[in-house]
Amino acid sequence: MAERVKIARACGTETGEETDISQIVPINRQSWKDKLRAYTNKPFSMAAMLLVMIAAAITVGVVLWILVYTLLKGIPNLRWSMFEWKWTSSNFSVIPALFNTLIIAGLSLLMAVPVGVFAAIFMVEYAKSTNVFVKIVRMAAETLSGIPSIVYGIFGRIFFVDFLGMGYSLMAGSLTMAIMMLPLIMRTTEEALLAVPDSFREGSFALGAGKLRTIFVILLPAAMSGIISGIILGLGRVMGETAALIYTAGAPVNASSIAGLGQPGCTLTVYLYTMMTEGMHVGEAWATAVVLIVLVVLINGAAEFVGNKLKKEYN
Amino acid sequence: MKKILMAAASAVLACGIGFAAVGCGTNGDIVVISRESGSGTRGAFMELIGLEDNELVAGADEANSTDVVTSSVEDAEKAIGYISLGSLDTSRVKAVQVDGVDASVANVKNDTYKLSRPFNVAWKKGSTNELRDDFLKYVASEQAQTIISADYIFNVEDAETYTPAELSGTLTIGGSSSVTKLMQALAEGYMELNDGVTITVTQSDSGTGMTDAASGSIDLGMASRALKDSEKEKLESTAIALDGIAVIVNKENPCTNLTVEQLKKIYNGEAKNWSDVDVTFPEK
Amino acid sequence: MAEKVVSGAETLKRRQKADVKELLMKIIFIIAAVAFIAAVAVICIFIFAQAYPAIREIGLFQFLFGTHWWPTIDEPQFGIAPMIVGSCYVTAGALVIGVPIGLLTAAFMAFYCPKGIYKVMKPATNILAGIPSIVYGYFGLRVIVPMIADIGGGSGKSILAASVVLGIMILPTIISVSENALRAVPKNYFEGAVALGATKERAIFRTMFPAAKSGVMTSVILGLGRVIGETMAVVMICGNSAVFPDSIFDGVRTMTANIVLELGYAEGLHRSALIATAAVLFVFILIITLLVSLIRKKAK
Repeated sequence: MAERVKIARACGTETGEETDISQIVPINRQSWKDKLRAYTNKPFSMAAMLLVMIAAAITVGVVLWILVYTLLKGIPNLRWSMFEWKWTSSNFSVIPALFNTLIIAGLSLLMAVPVGVFAAIFMVEYAKSTNVFVKIVRMAAETLSGIPSIVYGIFGRIFFVDFLGMGYSLMAGSLTMAIMMLPLIMRTTEEALLAVPDSFREGSFALGAGKLRTIFVILLPAAMSGIISGIILGLGRVMGETAALIYTAGAPVNASSIAGLGQPGCTLTVYLYTMMTEGMHVGEAWATAVVLIVLVVLINGAAEFVGNKLKKEYN
Repeated sequence: MKKILMAAASAVLACGIGFAAVGCGTNGDIVVISRESGSGTRGAFMELIGLEDNELVAGADEANSTDVVTSSVEDAEKAIGYISLGSLDTSRVKAVQVDGVDASVANVKNDTYKLSRPFNVAWKKGSTNELRDDFLKYVASEQAQTIISADYIFNVEDAETYTPAELSGTLTIGGSSSVTKLMQALAEGYMELNDGVTITVTQSDSGTGMTDAASGSIDLGMASRALKDSEKEKLESTAIALDGIAVIVNKENPCTNLTVEQLKKIYNGEAKNWSDVDVTFPEK
Repeated sequence: MAEKVVSGAETLKRRQKADVKELLMKIIFIIAAVAFIAAVAVICIFIFAQAYPAIREIGLFQFLFGTHWWPTIDEPQFGIAPMIVGSCYVTAGALVIGVPIGLLTAAFMAFYCPKGIYKVMKPATNILAGIPSIVYGYFGLRVIVPMIADIGGGSGKSILAASVVLGIMILPTIISVSENALRAVPKNYFEGAVALGATKERAIFRTMFPAAKSGVMTSVILGLGRVIGETMAVVMICGNSAVFPDSIFDGVRTMTANIVLELGYAEGLHRSALIATAAVLFVFILIITLLVSLIRKKAK
């Protein structure tokens, strides 16, 4: 109260009598009219503001357009029979493809997570950032994350499928995806490790723990939510991938059952691709697209949730 | 740095706008849709109308699947394309007569419709596979006949009844996207009779199917055309069905009949407008 | 007394054991880091080794600047100039469409957006990032392509169609990276500019954007990388004819489309030429990666 009176005094509204606080007009607030006047005086600013608004509207419009279009096309074709255990050419079940996706995702994460996490530990806990070796590793990680998926597809085809003789198989697909995921896992883990306050490390060392103990008992658990969000993002990457998997895991049209590791099998996205290009069951294809988008949204949501938890822990 | 970037950006913009302004409507009005060069449908079609593969009119769309062709023709009024007769969806596009003959299964069978080709399956020369042989026996059987004759022509005379041989294992089949639909149905029919067998059908194109079969990475390759001589050296094959190639146009297109000669002109670029092949669109 | 000595020796032993363990794990960590370099090396070696026969046979110059791609005739010709040009046009088009919208939207989200709208808009752009490219391709084929066919004639499968769809696809990358960059600029830059009498827009576009330059540039280059490498969406909507386009309503074939259309059945020299196309793409990406790290270095 005293503060407000002081402000009022400074504003010159104080008359020495009782102060009516509601009469005080804050000078740092602009009314709509003020804003309008300011903009009419500065046409360039107004144009810029309008452009910003238009761009934002376009972005929102585009998201809605694509989503609504897909949902409108897909939802009328959704049927319970699409979730039956076995695929036939009458029910178009997504379940085998979904399981293939999970198998590839699981396998590739199994391979990529240890390598990615260990590399991140090395980069954050052991190496100095001025080290040439570190620079090369970072460069390699950036290159890996920049390589287009079609090039990964070709590489997987040449190396895993032909050179190592795996044939089109879930295994070849998983190995290719594992390499694709490496930079992602390393980056998220690095960020998580960097977010752990140094006081954790100092405290651990002061209590007599060695470096290894500090890393595995203190740092990794503390960075766990970051690592998990990386894993979820990796899962999302497998979900959305087409080009790299067609040439490694193959693209069987009849996803009749869950494939073995040495057999070709299509993930949900590849299945969608074959269905859409074949063109005979477009309705079912859109329904599959809806399932896929729902899954992707859920996965992204989960990653976001875990990531936010990480932020809350230390901020 | 900034100036250079700005200059580059504006140059790109200027180029784009220049192109947009100059290039409109100089190329005639037939929108020619073809398939990619690995496609068996393309191989068979080009051969049937008497064109070499590289004689295709420059700038023709090369769609990578049957559905992209159908969608393009459905959406563009002046487009023309060709697809497997078995994949024709008359609610979306219109098939024209070729040399005055309707594109129908019956006309392919009695040999009056000119654009037809065999569906072949091929396997590596000299390789043995009990399961494959049994599947091929099924494909030539009475049971398969009912599946094949729905949309295609079954060309085995007096087919026998197939009895399951109690085999188990997996069979991988891959290749032409035109054959895929039929093969899928056949595989399902076979798996119904043989519990222990899994057949995976992979869709790509005829060229891929033949290459993969020759390398042994799949057990059976599918081609929607006759095998080339170079392929015959490495592969043994058998025809499982006959299929027509439907020439499709937009439903708004008044064209009902094209001769093979006219098709050739359209696809090698001699005919640029629909009026060159005696088709006049109603004035709007 | 004796007891104490023994325990001391034991401690020493334990410590030595621990040291060995520490060293061992350190080596494992280093091996994990080396795996990154090894992966890049193996990819390089295998792609370039398989691409080399084509380059040797065709000649690098003939390959890069040859104007005819006739892989299946008796005397095949392998020139990827039309594809390089196609990729460049599509990329430029997508950037012309995606970058302004993306940057302005980033400005909106960082400076204008009320909290309530932000909570909806941020996930919305993330969804855009999560939609698989094949869905974009099909959306483009059934929605954008017919619209362009109505405007420009032809089949509609064109540079313009590919640019629009890819422009949409890079929006989330550009928005999120540049929004983060804009938010990382200290608030007092903005306040200072406004206090000196600049309008909000002037403060944003003349003070905040230049301050966030390196982040903004990175977002554009990341978008560029995504466009050049995009395959499954582009192959459905760019027309795929391997000739030089006359207008933005003409179809083109990008390098990625060339690979995905023909890799399946290609044999011998043809296959090698396709892998060489991938190698060219790879070199493009390497250059882009270098650019990004140069920008980062400069920013530091």
